Parts: sequence; C-alpha cells; structure tokens
Amino acid sequence: MARVAGLLALVAVVLLFPSLAADPFILSVGVVILSYAVLATSWNLVGGFTGYISLGHAAYSGLGGYATALLILRTGMDPWLALIAGGLIVAAIAIPVGIASLRVRGASFVITSIALVLILQLTFQSWHTFTGGSNGLRVPRPFGTEVLRPEQHERFFYLHAVLLALALLTWWLIERSRLGAGLKAIREDEDKAQALGVPTFAYKLTALVISAFFTALGGGLYALWFGYLDPIFQFSILVGTYMVLMALLGGVRSLFGPLLGAVVVGYAVEVFKSQYGDTQLHLVATGVLLGLVVLFMPDGVIPALSSLLNRRRGAASIREVSAEELAKQREEAAR
Amino acid sequence: MTGALFAQSLVLGILLGGLYALLAAGLTLYFGVMRVVMIAHSAFLILAAYLAWFFHERSGLDPLLSLVITVPLFFVVGYGMQRFLVSRLRPISLTTMSVLLTFAVALTIEGLLGFVWTGTQRRVQLEYSGTSIEVFGVSIAVVKLIAFALAAVSLGALYVILRKTSFGRALRATTQHPEAARLVGIDTDRVAGLGFGLGLATAAIGGTALSLDYTIYPSLHWHWIGPLMAIIVVGGLGSIPGAAIAAMLLGVAASLLQVPLGTTWAQTVFYLALFVTLMIRPQGFFGGRLAQRF
Repeated sequence: MARVAGLLALVAVVLLFPSLAADPFILSVGVVILSYAVLATSWNLVGGFTGYISLGHAAYSGLGGYATALLILRTGMDPWLALIAGGLIVAAIAIPVGIASLRVRGASFVITSIALVLILQLTFQSWHTFTGGSNGLRVPRPFGTEVLRPEQHERFFYLHAVLLALALLTWWLIERSRLGAGLKAIREDEDKAQALGVPTFAYKLTALVISAFFTALGGGLYALWFGYLDPIFQFSILVGTYMVLMALLGGVRSLFGPLLGAVVVGYAVEVFKSQYGDTQLHLVATGVLLGLVVLFMPDGVIPALSSLLNRRRGAASIREVSAEELAKQREEAAR
Repeated sequence: MTGALFAQSLVLGILLGGLYALLAAGLTLYFGVMRVVMIAHSAFLILAAYLAWFFHERSGLDPLLSLVITVPLFFVVGYGMQRFLVSRLRPISLTTMSVLLTFAVALTIEGLLGFVWTGTQRRVQLEYSGTSIEVFGVSIAVVKLIAFALAAVSLGALYVILRKTSFGRALRATTQHPEAARLVGIDTDRVAGLGFGLGLATAAIGGTALSLDYTIYPSLHWHWIGPLMAIIVVGGLGSIPGAAIAAMLLGVAASLLQVPLGTTWAQTVFYLALFVTLMIRPQGFFGGRLAQRF
C-alpha cells in the first residue's frame, strides 16, 4: 500500500512539476535531471542486474544522439521515427561490442567500455564530412518555430518522463522474469549460475543490448531537445561517470535507486555549474564523490542507510549474515 | 610510401614503443600483484610531466633532474594507495571496484591539474629541444632519443629487480600464487604495496620523458590510457614481456599508419587491436596462466 502511495506521489510530482516551476530555467534543469534519470536507469539494466560496470555508457547515448540527428539530416526521416530507428541501430552496434567484451569475466568489459567512448570521441571529432567533426552538428527541432521555448521545455519534460516510465517498467518486468533471475544469479556468483545451467553469455548480452537501446533513446531525445551535438560532450567520459555515480549512489539493486541518484547528482551538478562555473573543480568533486561511494558505500547510499536503520531497530535482513557468521551460528547450534 | 619515410616512421615507432612498453610494464605490475586495472596510471603520468615542467619553470634546471624528486615521491604514493585505498575494497568485486576507484583518482588528478595550472597547454623549451641527429638518413630528435633511453634503462632495471633480487622473487611469487607465497613466509600485503609503488615509479619516469617531447594539458591522460589498456590486453595481462612486445608492435604500427592516415585515425589501431584480441583470443597473445583469469 505504501508502495502504491509512493508511486502515485512520484507520478504527481512529475506531472505537476512544469506548472510549479518558477521560470523556464528551472524547467530546463528539470528536463536535464529527467534525462540523467533515463540514462542512469538504462545503465542500471546492465550494471544493476549483472554487476558488470560500464564506465562508457556515454558511447551509447552519444551514438543515439548522432544517429537520430544524422537520420533526420541525411534521409529526411520524421524525427520521432529517427529517434526509434537510432535506438535500434545503437542496439545493433552493442551486439558485437558485447560479444567482444562479455565473453571473459572481470575487467575486459569495463576496459572496452572506456575504450569505446575514447575511440568514438576520436572518430566523431575527425570525421568532418559525416559527423560535422569538432564543429558540432545542429539538430533540427521536431516542433515548429511557433512552439516557444518554455513550451518546448514542457513538452520535452513530459517526453522524458514517458521514456523514464518505459525504462522503469522494463526494469520491473525483467526483474520478475526468468531473465532477471538469471541475471541476478550472474551478479551474485557467475560460476554457480553457469553450473545451474543459466546461459550466462546470452543473458549478459541481452541485458547489454536492452540497456544500450534505452540509453540511445535517452541520448536521442536529449539531442532533439538540446538541438546541438558536440563530440566532446556527447562522448564524454564524465557523462558515463555520472551514470555510474547516480546508480551507485541510489543503489543498483533497486528500481528507483538510479532515479533518486539522478535527482541528487543531477541537481548537485547543475547547482555546482551555476555557482562555480565550468571549472575543473567539478571533475575533482565528481572524482572524490565516486571514490567515497566505492570505498564506503559500494551497495549505494540508500541500502547503506536502510541497513543502518535496520540495525538500530535490531532487525537483521538475510543478506546481512555473511558466510562466516553463518558458520559460527551453526557451530554454536551444534554445541 | 618512400623508403626513407618508411625508415623514419619505423624508428619513431620504435622510440614511442619503448615508452609504451615501460608504462605498460607498470600496469602489468599492478595487475600482477593485486588483479587491479589501474586507470589512474596515465593520470599520474601526466602529473609527473606537469611536475617536471613546473620544476623546469621554477628552477631553470633540466626537467630530467625532477626525477630525483618524483620517482621516490610516486613510489611512496603508490605504496600508500595500495595499503590505504585498494586494500580496503572487498575481494569479491575487487577488479571492477578497483577500476572505479582508480578512475575516481584519475578524475581527481585531472581536475586538480586543471585547477592549479589551468587548462593551458604547456611545453618545456630546452636548448636541445629542436636538435636532432642523423643516422643512415633518418633524423631522430634528441629528446625522443633521451625518452627512449630513459624507458629502456628503467625497463632493464625493472627486469633486474624482478629477476635477480629476493624482493623480485617475492613479488613474482605473490603474482603467481598469493596463498602459497604466504605459506613460505612472504608478507604479500607488503609486497603488493611495494609492487604498486614500483608501478607508479614507472609513471614518474614516463611522465618526465613525456614532458621533454610533448605538449601537455590536463585531459591528455585519456589519450594514453586507451592505448595502454589495449597493449596490456593484447599482450596478455600479467606478462611484462608480453606487454613489451605488444607495446613495440602497436607503437610501430601506429607510427607507420600515421603517414597515410594521419595522427587521429592511426590512433584507432590500438582500439582495433583491443577489439580483435578480445574477439579471437581474449587471454591475449603473449600472456601465461595469469591472463586466463582476467
């Protein structure tokens, strides 16, 4: 019951936000934060379920943006059709990337993800004839000129909210499916999962492709709103880091964790930018925050806080008993 | 491509490959002792280059002399980083989480560099910066030669340390089998810390060599970490000779491709090699048993 109420409250906040926002700037910050939420939730489709951390998901959002823009510019396709086609193209690109990086365990996945962003930034910057190179690419607006700025922001706010709802729904559906059970088994212990007959490679690849699809849609929608693509910002290591940070901060095991992380981090990033300008300090702040989360709260802030709360209440969840403690308990029981 | 141009690119490739080999050896050391992929390696490399530049700017002395300060400093920092940061991570998710942690360190270093010395491009100007010597019709810049010599000497020293000293034996034992190493009385935690320090010392040497010949800026480290990661994957993780061979091959390949394709597209050869290696031989081409666990 509390869950339904919480969900309804969330929906109400999102629906009412545009009419409550004081000015178009606040509304545009809202769009940015929702866009982050879409990206972080999409990231979590692979990062949260499988435990395979991708630091280069900006590759998929950037490709989504460019695919959408180039399809509109080069083929004259309808913008919304181009958005979906772009997502499908990026999902197809994710297949060979996944085959190369998911066959072996451990670090090769994260190494490939970083390498992918670096190589894409390199090529999109220098391939002037096709991508506009480092001059960037202007994306045609999907709405006519009669739609004014605040109206644009409002429409894109709701569009991002719809995409976010779809990504969350996908996460929810996967979690309840056989695929989700298999993916979570991979996260907890890949050897055992394999021994139990989970087709680990196929499952991991599926998760990556779905995640890449939604990430690309997020990137494409943002490109349609923002109207301009620059390879430096599209294929930015920093954007990929934000996704990881948001998901880790909010908790990768929960449905709404990345959304919460996106609100916190996205808001912090925007405030930081408006307070201190675009200095190098935001890199330091991001780095330090990521380091602290990894060192002290690898399961996320929400899980860390709630487990602290549980301990206060004296109630222990099953997860909190380590194998060591379990052995001790059994030993005592045997005596 | 004419013969002279080919020879020129070949020599440049070998000189660059030497620097890559030294830096890849450092990455291999971290992976060997801790199974850690150290993303911040190249950020420390650029930090050392900045320190060399700053040292030269302030004192007017040769940037090479900054090695006297940076090598011990980086060794201590590396030891501390292993003992106080990396060793705190949970063993079960160590490889992934260590990537995140060292990535965070890299971002912090990049941001601090930009904050302290701004994003302006910096370059060390020396009397011998423009000089080059000619061998068999191939002209080689003196600074590139110094950088290569520095890398070659350090790699040689690293080889001697690993092969001939008791610490080297302890380190290799820790790499091969930590539990067995502990059983015969090796303090593997300490060895891992020292291995980290040694790895970071290579970044100090590489960075100083880099400062002689390159224009540096805070985000330059991303241009180095990509190729370096490709090198250690192609070489097979954990194998220093494998990393050295891969570094040479890829360095030469990139240098040769630079003539018809230009600098930017030639860089893609590293990523292509990474991709192809993971596709057909994920454990790398020269790696031993260790690489299987990667």
